[in-house]
Amino acid sequence: MDELIEQFLIEGRELVQQASDDLLALEENPSDLGRIDSAFRAVHTLKGSVGFFDFAPMGELLHRAEDLLGTVRSGRLAATKAILDVLLECIGASDAWIDSIERTGNLPPDADAQGRSLRAAMAPYLGEAGQDIATAPEVDLDWVAGLVERNREAVDGAGAGQPITALRYTPSKDCFFLGDDPLALVRSIPGLIALEIGTRDAWASETFDPFACNLVFEALTPAPVDDVRGIFRLVPDQTIVFEIQAESAAQQLAESPATPDGGREGGGRTLRVDAARIDVLANIVGELVVTKNGLAHLAQQAAETDPKLARSLSANQANFDRLIGDMHRAVIAMRMIPLARTFQRFPRLVRDIAGKLNKGVVFSVTGEEVQADKSIVDGIFEPLLHVLRNAVDHGIEGAETRRGNQKPADGHIRLEARRTNDQIVFSVMDDGAGIDLDSVRQIAKSRNLMDAAVIDALDDAEVLDLIFAAGFSTAAAVTDVSGRGVGMDAVRTAVEALGGRVLVSSTRGAGTTIQLILPQTLVINTIMTVRVGDERFGVPIESVQETMRVAADRILPIREGEAFVVRNRTLPLLRLADLLNLPRLPRPDDIRVLIATAGDERVGIEVDGFAERFDVVLRPMQGLLSGMPGVLGTALLGDGQVLMVLDLPELIG
Amino acid sequence: MSVVLAAGKVVLRDNCPVEDAEPLLILLQNHPDCPVDIGDATNLHAAVLQVLMMFRRDLIGGSRDSFLQKWIVPVLTDRTENRI
Repeated sequence: MDELIEQFLIEGRELVQQASDDLLALEENPSDLGRIDSAFRAVHTLKGSVGFFDFAPMGELLHRAEDLLGTVRSGRLAATKAILDVLLECIGASDAWIDSIERTGNLPPDADAQGRSLRAAMAPYLGEAGQDIATAPEVDLDWVAGLVERNREAVDGAGAGQPITALRYTPSKDCFFLGDDPLALVRSIPGLIALEIGTRDAWASETFDPFACNLVFEALTPAPVDDVRGIFRLVPDQTIVFEIQAESAAQQLAESPATPDGGREGGGRTLRVDAARIDVLANIVGELVVTKNGLAHLAQQAAETDPKLARSLSANQANFDRLIGDMHRAVIAMRMIPLARTFQRFPRLVRDIAGKLNKGVVFSVTGEEVQADKSIVDGIFEPLLHVLRNAVDHGIEGAETRRGNQKPADGHIRLEARRTNDQIVFSVMDDGAGIDLDSVRQIAKSRNLMDAAVIDALDDAEVLDLIFAAGFSTAAAVTDVSGRGVGMDAVRTAVEALGGRVLVSSTRGAGTTIQLILPQTLVINTIMTVRVGDERFGVPIESVQETMRVAADRILPIREGEAFVVRNRTLPLLRLADLLNLPRLPRPDDIRVLIATAGDERVGIEVDGFAERFDVVLRPMQGLLSGMPGVLGTALLGDGQVLMVLDLPELIG
Repeated sequence: MSVVLAAGKVVLRDNCPVEDAEPLLILLQNHPDCPVDIGDATNLHAAVLQVLMMFRRDLIGGSRDSFLQKWIVPVLTDRTENRI
């Protein structure tokens, strides 16, 4: 993908996040000027970035959103719920569009229509705000760029990394009569680094009226925005004060390579690295681990011929071992990011969903600081969103019903993440109606998920589990929110693909808790597949020392067992079919053997064939199978097949 | 009054308030070729400034006031029409 677009996707998401945080905070406290400012800046910057690409509907929408925010910022409109709603909708649309750009490189086909309707929704506010919005050139901030460009030297001289305040002051024509002296105001701007004075209309000596102010002032100063606003507080309708960020993050990245101490200090020094590069590093470390295992064997061999060499080899090997371990942990840590990145998106989305369903929901989130592997943090978004959607749609009752049940009118949904050992438990708890087991039974029967008799025989826990069955959906009517043809089965599939599992508990009338339990780090294992008869099994590559072919006539029977000689050593030979209690195939002339280690001993294991290697996420065995000896877990292959991964040392042992 | 005609030039002195705008306008209209001297002006009201900007007469010297010297003199001597 184009680097510029990639940068846009990263930055765009951050800005959307910022704007949505600010707008939600404004909902709590509509007069928080800092938040208004911050939202305005985020939307403005986003609009600017969109301008680099051909995403016209997005640019136009953000432009209007910026206008509306500007009106709120200037105090001409209050940040009412209705205004915040439409602004949040704009941000929501932008968020979805960014997703679409990432997937398809373009806006979704309905973007134009959606943008148009949102723009129409904003129009009344912009109209009401007075004619000056329509006529004043002020709303447009293009002048800032020109002003900065013409005064580039002064701006650069003001010190890199420092925000600059830009001001455009168009005194009203009758300001002299009101006792204003615009120049005196301009004069009191501290630290002025640029001042340009122009005119509203061209001078016309015949009609010149000395008492009608025809001046326009534009100024730049490193003084804080609020200080400048303070000076012009009596003429807010005649001024635009705008903070220019030092440089956008993208520019900083592009322009300051490898200057660790240049630019801003003190702030978090971070480096954005493509996740794919870290994956490459992780793969290399993985291979190193395997290579390292070979070294241990080498040291053992050396012990027989040269004990001294063997000792230093062993010492080296131990160091090597430790360092690779450290490196492995460092790489894993690099991929760890706080859940905040995903969690931050939920408050707005839940609010959105609740709004569409006309339900009152108080949503709270804890555990944003918990860290997990990037793939977990990203991968958990869809499943969690689905669970939250269900909680709002099916969990929380309507306000009337809730009041009737002596519950607060607004439902409460809590999203929580906790770390326990190496796992992260995501819980979504609602205080809604709970799951009606009888209706679950009914639906399961009507959808023919199982025999009616079987369903009747299920205990409560098993009935609850039915909601995860493919083809089950409790929505009586297909709603805009939940009815998307995927149900909880999609959640379970997604979570299992990440190596996790889903639990549900519900109390009728009191609410439902859904838990997604995931590993904190995604442990990728390279496995080799081996064949026994027609069946395939996985073997972790670390436990395989080598693979070879041995002529059948070189197999030596020893008592009840068999052995063979490899490089002057006699190794016992076991058949995998025997270890797994599978039928033996007739032995070919040329047999395939993998050499595994069991403790200090090496053992040859005869298989019927070798197949490809895979990188897989190993899922531990669950339920009844968890006690099965000799099996590490299962892995889901690309084609959807489930592969059992064997624990060779335990099988041999 | 801080606006006077002296030795063939229009001189602005001290603090030039809004009331100076009209006399200044009349002086400049009546003396089309007169240069302007703001050397001793300490402050110009915006109304005075815009009269000076419309006529754009030659300035004699600069200004002793640092704000006027740094920011206003260049505006008055700039011959390009800087309509924003």
